[in-house]
Amino acid sequence: MMTSAILQAINGVSLAALLFLLASGFTLSFGLMRVVNMAHGAYYLLGGYIGLAVGLKTGSFTLALLAGGAAIAVIGFFVDRFLIRHTGENHLAQVLLTVGVAFVMGDVALQVWGGDNLKVPVPMFLRGAVELPGGLVYPSYRFALILFGAFVALVLWLLYKKTQIGAVVRAGVDDREQVNATGINVDRLFVLVSALASFLAGLAGVAGGAFLTLYPGAEWEILVYALVVVIVGGLGSLEGAMIGALIVGLLDAYGRWLLPEFSYFVLFGPIALLMLFRPRGLFGREH
Amino acid sequence: MPNPRLVLALAALAAALALPQFGGQFWTGLVTQMLIFGLLALSVDLLLGHAGLFSLTHASFFAVSAYTVAILQVRYGVPTVLAAPAGILAGTLLGLVFGLAVRTRGVYFILITIAFGYVVWGLAQRWSSFTGGDNGVTNVPFPAVGGLAITSHTQYYYLVLAVVIGVCFSYRVLVRSPFGLALRGIKGSETRMQSLGYRTGLHLYAAFVLSAALASVAGVLYVYYNRFVNPVASAFPISVEAALMAIVGGTGTIIGPFIGAGVLLGLRNWVSSFVEMHHAIMGAVFIATVLWAPDGLVGLAGRIRARLARKKHG
Repeated sequence: MMTSAILQAINGVSLAALLFLLASGFTLSFGLMRVVNMAHGAYYLLGGYIGLAVGLKTGSFTLALLAGGAAIAVIGFFVDRFLIRHTGENHLAQVLLTVGVAFVMGDVALQVWGGDNLKVPVPMFLRGAVELPGGLVYPSYRFALILFGAFVALVLWLLYKKTQIGAVVRAGVDDREQVNATGINVDRLFVLVSALASFLAGLAGVAGGAFLTLYPGAEWEILVYALVVVIVGGLGSLEGAMIGALIVGLLDAYGRWLLPEFSYFVLFGPIALLMLFRPRGLFGREH
Repeated sequence: MPNPRLVLALAALAAALALPQFGGQFWTGLVTQMLIFGLLALSVDLLLGHAGLFSLTHASFFAVSAYTVAILQVRYGVPTVLAAPAGILAGTLLGLVFGLAVRTRGVYFILITIAFGYVVWGLAQRWSSFTGGDNGVTNVPFPAVGGLAITSHTQYYYLVLAVVIGVCFSYRVLVRSPFGLALRGIKGSETRMQSLGYRTGLHLYAAFVLSAALASVAGVLYVYYNRFVNPVASAFPISVEAALMAIVGGTGTIIGPFIGAGVLLGLRNWVSSFVEMHHAIMGAVFIATVLWAPDGLVGLAGRIRARLARKKHG
C-alpha cells in the first residue's frame, strides 16, 4: 500500500512534467498575446508523430525531440501569422478557428499515421528500471522525464525572471501598449514567444509519445489536462503552470489508482470547487 | 399585400409537412436530424447570441438526458411518459451544477465549460458498469404514450417537427420578454446593467439553466431517433459543432441555428459520400466561418439586403 502510494506519486509527478511542457507554452502565449490556442493538443500529437518518424529513421531520441519541436515551431508560426492574426482579441473566434485547425491536423495525421497506438522508441539507456532507496523499482524513462521537466522549468524560469528578454516579456504581459510605446518591437517578441510555445508543444508530443503512446484523440485528452493546469494555475502565469501541473498530475495518478471509474471526477471536482472561490486560478490576474 | 414573413413561414410549414411524401426516407431522416441538432444549436445560442457566453459543454446536457432516457427505457422498462421528462430533468439538474461556471467570464468561461464537458465524457466512457462504456445503451424503442405508439421514422419526424415548433414559439416569447432584454443588456455591457440594479449573475445563471433544459429536450429527441446512445454524444466535437451551427446560421436569431444545422449536416453527408476526412472538412468550415462570415448566413443575407436597399434608394 505504502509503496503503491509512493509509486503513484512518482507517476503523478512525471505526468506533471509532461503537462508543464505543454501548459507553459499555452499560458505564456495567452499572457503575452491574449491568444487562446486550442490547436496546442494537435501540435502535441503532430510533433509526436514527426518525432516518431525521425526517431525510427535516425535511431536518435534527441534528434526526434528536436525535430518534433522544430517542425511544430514552423507550423505554429504559419498558423499564427496567417490565421490567428486575423481574429484580433476575439477569444470566441480564436477558439473556433484553432479548434478548426486542430480538426484538420488531427484528420491529416489520421490519414498519414493511421488509427493505431504508436510508441516513440525510447533510447537504450532509458529502457530499464531504476532502483530507488527503499527497494522501489521504477521505469527509468519516466524518471528521466521528471528531471527533464524540472530542467525545462528551471530554464524557462531563469529566462523569464533573470534575462532582458524575460523582463520585456513580463512587461508585455502586464501592459503591452506601454512596452510598444517604449520602442520595443512587440511583434518580434510575439513571434519569439509563439515559436517557443509551439516548440515546447511539439517536444512534449515526442516525450509523451514515448510512454502515453500516440493515437487519434490523444490531442484532445492531453489538451484538456493542459487546460485544467492553466485554469488552476491562472492564465498567463508560469509559476501557476508549475503548481497547476503538479496538482493535476497527482490528482490524476491517485484518482486512477483509487477510483478508476470516477477518475475524471477526482480530477475535476476539486477544480470546480477552486473555481468557485478563485475564478481566476491560483496565480491569475485580471485581463 | 400579406406579411411576406408570414407567407414564407406558411410555405416552409407546408413544405415541412409534405416532406415525407416527396422526399423519401433519406431526406426525412436528414431533416429530422437537422431539427434535433438545430434545437441543440438554439440552446447554445440562448447563451451565445443573447447573453454573450460561449459554452462548450452543451453536449453534456444533451448526452445526460439521452442516457437517462435510454437507461430508464431499456434497462428498467420505464414508459416514455416518465422517461422523457426524467431525461429533461436530469439534464437540467446538471445545468444547475455546471451553471456555476457563470461566476467566470470570457476565456475562463470557455475553458471551464470545456473541462466540465470532459467530466461527463469521462463518466460515459469509464463508468461502463452503468453507461455501457464504448458501446453505450442500445435498442431504445420508439416513444409510446398509452396506446399511441410511434412505429416509423416518418411518424417520428412529425413528432419532432411538432415539438420543435412548440419550443421555438416558447423561445420567441422568452427572448422577447424583459428577461431576454436584460440578457442582451448584459451582453452589451454588464457593468451598466449592474449599475441599473440588475443582478446580472443571477440572470446569467437562469439563462444557463434554461439553455441546459433546452439542450436536454434535444437529447431526448435524439435518443429516440438514433435508438442508441454512446459516449460520442457527450464528446467535445458535438459541443463545438452545436456552437458552429449557431454561428454559421447566425446568432441571436431563431431560424439561424436551424439553417446552420442544415448546412453543416448536409455538407457532412455530401462530403462523406466521397472522402473519409469529414473532421478536416468541419475544421475547414470553422476556419472559413471565422475568417469570412463571422455573422453567419443570416448576417450575410442581411448585409446583402442592406446593400440592395441602398442601391434601390441610391
